[in-house]
Amino acid sequence: MVQSKKQKYTFLAFCLLPTFIMFAIFTLYPLFSGLYYSFFDWSGSSHVKEFIGFDNYIKLINDSIIPGTIIHDYFLVVTKVIGIMILAMFFAVALTQLKIKEAPFYRIVFFFPNIMSVVVIGILWTFIYNPSLGLVNSGLEYLGLDSWTRPWLGSEKWALPSLVLPSIWAGIGLFMLMLMGGIANVSKSYYEAAEIDGANEWQQFWKVTLPLVWPQIKISVLYIVITTLNGSFIIVQVMTGGGPNNATHVMGSYLYQQAFVQYNFGYGATIGVMILILSLITVLILQLLMRKEKVEY
Amino acid sequence: MSELLKRRGVLLFTAMLLLVFAAACSSDDKTSGESDDAGGEDGKISGELEIQYFVGGYGDSWWKEVISDFEDEYPDVEVVEQAGPNINDEMRSRWVANDPPDVVYIDGAGSSETQMVEDGQLMDLTDWVQDIELEGGDKLIDSFIVDPGKFDGDIYTLPLVFDTWGTWYDKALFEEKDYEVPTDFDSFMDSMEKIKDKEGIDPFVTSGEHPYYFLRGMLYPAFGAAGGDELLADVITGKEGAWTSDVVLDTMKKVEKMQKEGMFDSGLGALNHTQSQMNFLLHDNAYIPVGFWLPNEMENDIPDGFDFGFIPSPMQDKGEPYAIVPDLRPLAIAEEAKNPEAAKAFIEFAFTRDYAMSFSEHTGAIMNLTEVDLTENDKVPGYLTEANEMINDPDQVQIYEKPHPMSADLETPVGDALMSLMLGNMTAEEFTEAAEKAAADYRD
Repeated sequence: MVQSKKQKYTFLAFCLLPTFIMFAIFTLYPLFSGLYYSFFDWSGSSHVKEFIGFDNYIKLINDSIIPGTIIHDYFLVVTKVIGIMILAMFFAVALTQLKIKEAPFYRIVFFFPNIMSVVVIGILWTFIYNPSLGLVNSGLEYLGLDSWTRPWLGSEKWALPSLVLPSIWAGIGLFMLMLMGGIANVSKSYYEAAEIDGANEWQQFWKVTLPLVWPQIKISVLYIVITTLNGSFIIVQVMTGGGPNNATHVMGSYLYQQAFVQYNFGYGATIGVMILILSLITVLILQLLMRKEKVEY
Repeated sequence: MSELLKRRGVLLFTAMLLLVFAAACSSDDKTSGESDDAGGEDGKISGELEIQYFVGGYGDSWWKEVISDFEDEYPDVEVVEQAGPNINDEMRSRWVANDPPDVVYIDGAGSSETQMVEDGQLMDLTDWVQDIELEGGDKLIDSFIVDPGKFDGDIYTLPLVFDTWGTWYDKALFEEKDYEVPTDFDSFMDSMEKIKDKEGIDPFVTSGEHPYYFLRGMLYPAFGAAGGDELLADVITGKEGAWTSDVVLDTMKKVEKMQKEGMFDSGLGALNHTQSQMNFLLHDNAYIPVGFWLPNEMENDIPDGFDFGFIPSPMQDKGEPYAIVPDLRPLAIAEEAKNPEAAKAFIEFAFTRDYAMSFSEHTGAIMNLTEVDLTENDKVPGYLTEANEMINDPDQVQIYEKPHPMSADLETPVGDALMSLMLGNMTAEEFTEAAEKAAADYRD
């Protein structure tokens, strides 16, 4: 039976309209209201608010803490992308190519942190880093490296680097699975052909695996960047609260502090707008940098 | 037919979604007074009374008692309790929508008396409070230990809980090892030195994640002792030159000395308040600055034989009395209260010396009323009777009052710099410069 035009449009509307409405309520509306509130002096706790034009944006430019938060965010982005991609790629190749018998077990083990809430991960790692009882310092002491022990999260110098490890640990699993999916789709015949041509495992990885899973790598990197810029807030908030002395504040945690601790909701919204703009720019730049012809053999 | 029905179904579904969308986006402002259950007409107190109270270290048993007694006294009033450890955040949307509860107890994370007054959310109680009497006929306004905070001369809140920060130690440990309880800054340093040697621990701990524990617990009393109410008011309001003044610098030098001599727990930068308190209970440290609520808050984790001892933080010079700076937790009525008459009745009902006594029994803290004799009551913990006695003896303890709590906009940057000083990454001079800059930003 041929569908009439009307039927077709009704069906399309049926599919699109609810999604669009949900999108409008849960994404567009908060987005624009955030933008709207950034022009107000508002505590976020009362109905009284005053329109102040671009004052919050001027404050943002002059705020001496903001540059630090941006640097911290991009520090986490870079270290996470490098750490997660290298390890996830390594594990994915190992679990698919090396024919390890226990592969399914490792797959579960590596994926495990992904089903845990980031808050739980943060609390868990706070204990691991605890200066007196924690696994890290106890381990170092056990190894006779007493001079290496330090109050990891309580030091202005070491607190931020200490956040990288749990962030990577929490992220590997998902990207490992994505890459494994990509690798599994690479036809075995390519590897056989490469082997006949005399390519060793390393060359096979660089010349066959990597180019063929590039789309997955690209998506993974983008995903890590976006989730870090939007979500690194959680681990910071749970593990250090941005301290000591703002040494670990990322844009998101500083937004939270301004909006909900210091009662400057309008200014918090302004920081939110900054995060949005920086995320967009970053993603656009990454899209350009990672543009590569799709490889087919 | 079925075609038509299907199309109608789709239309209906779309219309419903649009309705949901419209409802979600529409403003939900309610006019105050919309509720028709407000009492107060012809003098009779009735209707619904909504009370918001934070449940923290003091628990909620005192509240339950007062509310239940109040309902017995006013059977026509139905009390709705909005209570819990996160109640301030949970009720925030109600305050934003201008639909607040009637009575609010301002305490705990997410609440700020200063912000609420600045936002015009609280009722001006200046005239009304003059007429309130306690059970014995004393005027309430003359019976506060510490008078209500004033904003431009007006009273918006009535201080219910008289809390104070001080320094805690384990009496049992001190008696066993013969450590002396410090009486001023010098003896404090001596005592910490001794403990450091004998116990092999960093003697002093506080929460690095919340530097205001040290600020309110140690520095406020230090500023009070060194410069009186005036200095305290100047640093809290961020007056120009206050933070860089010599008095403040001298005090910060003391903190610097504590840091240089290794008195601070080396890991305190990462500790939240519970972790620092746990460290203290486990004898990883010997001193901690917290308010009266500490024993109640850590009730389930107190090791056997641990005996809480409390002194006002010993930051003052030799020969000076201890200094304390009370930390008050007030009750207030919302400006947009739907049942202001019942709210007023409740506040009058709660402020009695009987309830002050039961408050100390329930919470281990003091209600802000004078002439409540705790000494005869064996349900009140020992540290409290001792502290109460000490506080009431002006030779031993001098009380300094702050004008109002420090705004979070000043406290946060000052706390950040303070943490840096305590971690040894800043000198006392650099700290005062940083705090002065924060005060300048705050004034702007």
